[in-house]
Parts: sequence; C-alpha cells; structure tokens
Amino acid sequence: MNCNEACVLISAAVDGELSFVEEKQFFLHLSECKECTAEYDDAQRTKLIIRERVIRFKAPQTLINSITQLTSFTPKEMF
Amino acid sequence: MDNPDPAHQKKSLQTNESLSAVEHKKQIEFQNEAVVHLNALYNYALHITMNPDDAEDLVQETYLKAYRFFNSFERGTNCKAWLFKILKNNYINVFRKNSKEPGKVDYDLIKDFYHSIKDTRSDTTETDSDYFHSLLHEEVYQALLSLPEEFREVIQLCDIEGFTYEEIANMVDSPIGTVRSRLYRGRKLLRNQLEGYAKKYGFATDTDQ
Repeated sequence: MNCNEACVLISAAVDGELSFVEEKQFFLHLSECKECTAEYDDAQRTKLIIRERVIRFKAPQTLINSITQLTSFTPKEMF
Repeated sequence: MDNPDPAHQKKSLQTNESLSAVEHKKQIEFQNEAVVHLNALYNYALHITMNPDDAEDLVQETYLKAYRFFNSFERGTNCKAWLFKILKNNYINVFRKNSKEPGKVDYDLIKDFYHSIKDTRSDTTETDSDYFHSLLHEEVYQALLSLPEEFREVIQLCDIEGFTYEEIANMVDSPIGTVRSRLYRGRKLLRNQLEGYAKKYGFATDTDQ
C-alpha cells in the first residue's frame, strides 16, 4: 500500500470501518510511514474533539412529557 | 376513545380488551426501543434547525410518525437510525422549505443561541485532550458549522451520534464510499479550522513541528 491508497482509508480506519484485509494493509503501511501515521493521529484527534466538545442538548421536560403521553394511553375505561 | 354509551361499551368490551392489549404491548415496546432516544433526536433536531421551538416540533412529528409506522420498523435493527431517518425526511419535507437561504449561516446568531441554552440544559463530558482542550465549545461548533452541509452532516452522524457507515449511507441516501470520502474530506477541512483556533491561543500543532 502506498501513501495515496492509505490516505483514502484514514477516516474509515479511525471509525473502525475497514475490512479485515484493508485494516491489515493499512496498519502495515503506517508502521513504516511517519507522514501517514501523523495524518491518522490528527484524524483521530479531530474525531475526539468533535465528540467531546460539541455540546449535547437534552430534551426539555415539556417535550419529554408530550412524547411520553403520546405512548402511554392506558385503557382505564375498561376497568 | 371515550364512549359515552355504557351499553355499547359493554358490548365491545371483548374486542377492546384484546385490541388494547396489543396496543399496550406496542406502547411498551415503543417506549423501550424508540423513546429512549429522545435526547439524541432533540439534540440533532436542535443542531439542524437552530431553533428550540422548531426542534421540538420536528421531534414531535418524528415520534408521531414513528409510532404510527412502528410495525414497519425492522426488529433487531438500530431503532435510533430508523428514527433519525424519519426525522431527516421530515426536516427536508417540512422545515427546509421555510428556511433561509441555504448555506448562509449567521455566526453571531449561533453564538448567542449557543450561549443562551448551553447553561440551562447541556450534557458535556470534560476530558483533557491536549491543545484541543483550550478550544471553546462554540469555537468547535463554529468550525463544524463552517463546513458545507454534506460534510457537516456525516461528521455529526458519525462522531456525535455514533452511527455506522452503513446506517449513515442509508440516512443520506448515498453509497458507503461517498460517506467514507465525505468524512475524510470533512475532517480535513475541520482540522484546518481547529488548528487556526489553536494557533490563536499559542498552542503548537503537529503541522508546526
């Protein structure tokens, strides 16, 4: 595998989305290429920063209530 | 649902009981499978609509539709992915039509919006990850928003929501190869933006060495 081929696979490698064969070849290339290893580390860090620094907002209580209501019909008129 | 006529109610009791047993089972399953993803759906809706009221409407409509078509949900597959697909379709069909010019983002508006709601209802995990730690939440978010939508979308779905490439491909109606290359290019663009911020704070990045 050369650098161009490895480059295309970097994101998929970071996400654990390579096939078994691709993964083997990719990491073999990384073991002998500093540039691609640096690219790979950067991509990994970028993923991490997005996952950790972008705020996740929780649903407001009013929304929780209305969704819960939607799906909690109790057939009390039956009893 | 309420029937004011007691005679009629009694007569149809048998049918109603078995009907409601089925309905009840569906409700419990829906709660366990679908409603547990409410926070994730709201968060995503908020990020794409940029408006808390619109986000609530979008999530409500998504759940209504999901409940109505819950029988068509393929059991054993990822329900969160199924809900996101419904939400996305809803967004395209209803919300996008009324929205502003595509691709135009008002950064000041976003900054205010981000500040105004982050203190009240946010859920963050703080970790020390070298120079990125210095970046402010809204800077990272702005960097994300600066990306063309097709890149931003796959990054959000992959990195924030944790979907697989196959699930994302299905959501955005594109082949897996496209998802792969969009993620690759999107992350590269994003990294350039983030490095710009990091430099602003005087942190050395790999590219400086």
